[in-house]
Amino acid sequence: MPEISRRDFLKLTRDGFLYLSGALALGGLLRFLSYQTEPTPQTEFDLGQAVDFPLNSRTLLADIPAVLLHTESGFSALSLVCTHLGCTVEQKTDGFTCPCHGSRFTSDGKVTHGPAAKPLRALRVEVTDQDTLKLFTA
Amino acid sequence: MRKLLVIAAGALLLTISLAWWFSGRQPKPVELIPTLTNQPEYCISCHADVPEISKSHPVKTFGCVSCHGGERLALNADLAHSTMRGGKNPSDLSVVEASCGGSNCHSGSEAGNNDHIQRVITSIQSTYAGAIANVRFTFGAQTDMTAHFGITAITNAQTQSDITSLAAFDPASESNPSIQKFGANCLNCHINATPREGDVYARQTGCAACHATGKHTLTTAMPYTQCNSCHNRGNYDLRTMTFVERADHPTSRLQDYYQPIAQFTKCEYTLDCVDCHTRTEAMGDGNIHSNKKDIQYIQCKTCHGTPTELPLTKTLTDPNDIAFKLAFLNPVVDLRLGDTILVTEKGEPLWNTSVQPDGTYTMIGKATQQHFTFKPVMGSSCTQNGQDQSSAYCHECHSVQR
Repeated sequence: MPEISRRDFLKLTRDGFLYLSGALALGGLLRFLSYQTEPTPQTEFDLGQAVDFPLNSRTLLADIPAVLLHTESGFSALSLVCTHLGCTVEQKTDGFTCPCHGSRFTSDGKVTHGPAAKPLRALRVEVTDQDTLKLFTA
Repeated sequence: MRKLLVIAAGALLLTISLAWWFSGRQPKPVELIPTLTNQPEYCISCHADVPEISKSHPVKTFGCVSCHGGERLALNADLAHSTMRGGKNPSDLSVVEASCGGSNCHSGSEAGNNDHIQRVITSIQSTYAGAIANVRFTFGAQTDMTAHFGITAITNAQTQSDITSLAAFDPASESNPSIQKFGANCLNCHINATPREGDVYARQTGCAACHATGKHTLTTAMPYTQCNSCHNRGNYDLRTMTFVERADHPTSRLQDYYQPIAQFTKCEYTLDCVDCHTRTEAMGDGNIHSNKKDIQYIQCKTCHGTPTELPLTKTLTDPNDIAFKLAFLNPVVDLRLGDTILVTEKGEPLWNTSVQPDGTYTMIGKATQQHFTFKPVMGSSCTQNGQDQSSAYCHECHSVQR
């Protein structure tokens, strides 16, 4: 086995350190550049075919959270975010109740019992040309 | 020269490696956007295992920062915690307005029954004004028993009592050594004081002194043990101005509830303090008072009546009655419109009671959920004068032996 000179050893060590540093720095740069910021909260939701929501139906959309109403006058939606402090209200037979502080709302969102003072927010629903529904929360 | 280059390259590698190592130690960011603030916060990156504090304060809605403060986007623990309000306790009275206040929360209106902070700050439990006035009067520093000093200075222009303000009590400015000693040794019991050392005294300060019964838990169903972190733990000796701990070592509720010298009836130790004592008694009525007796008014007759009078009752006809709000917060009873409950002489609902068709009464323990049935004094063999209703009179016949 050939002997390595002191000079070569130092050169090899220096180069090794530099290459490793470069690789780590490049990795850090790539990690920095590839950082994914949190997506902006969704404000537009495709609900699918309108025919899937028959007349006089009330459909709970828990992920939004909202309830989709189909009446004689068309499609509408109510936000299920309580107007007091923002808890998600629960659907009951006679309307909605907030599990956090007890506010109650009629089935069309009007306040019947505080502490909430404002009605549940009405959300915009659009029927597209393809007869699908889009709901907008903002 | 070559040697220096190797050392420089090694130092560079070490620096970059350390940077990688430190960045690898950072928790993976987990974002939460509470519906109340709609601002992202990263607290749950490290605190995902913290239990929900109460059903009225869900994390999904409130997040952490609206109550605790702190740097919501920081992943470094020291930086994230650097601006927290009240350390681990945002309900400490020094920061409670910023943490728990707001007109929609706990510094609302008297009419909305959410003026908790204003009431607590002026309450005897917070000012300790009664004890201070009593001691200063006893040792000649003031000529009457009216409160002039509290733990902190407060002003209440809306007060309906005669006292509109209290100055901050400063033991060092007192000339009497006993009052100075009182200041040094006897100010552990107001709710903003650091408690004495020992498990039996363990509690937090501010709202949490009463309402935090466990780790990150708020409740209105406080067991007697929570009250006993201050009450029934011993006595202040006015000769030496020191606290004398109770010497017994109770092992049962009967033994533990009151001090050995106390007289009490069965209901006084089987129930929890909060089953009878009302929110106004405990948290104050918004006025500054000179003595506990000015605010504590529940007596045996509140529930039992007297030989000549039945206790006061009320049939719930208003869905906005405070009784429903209180029952909602601690749903041990299914209170409904039309139910008849007992009320105090000030009209406060004892919402965990009900009047039965046969004239008896029931009470559900707020902390224990135990079911109790009791009768009015009227119609019994009791001959007690209707005017003499302090507990000492009832204890004459009804005290429990232990």
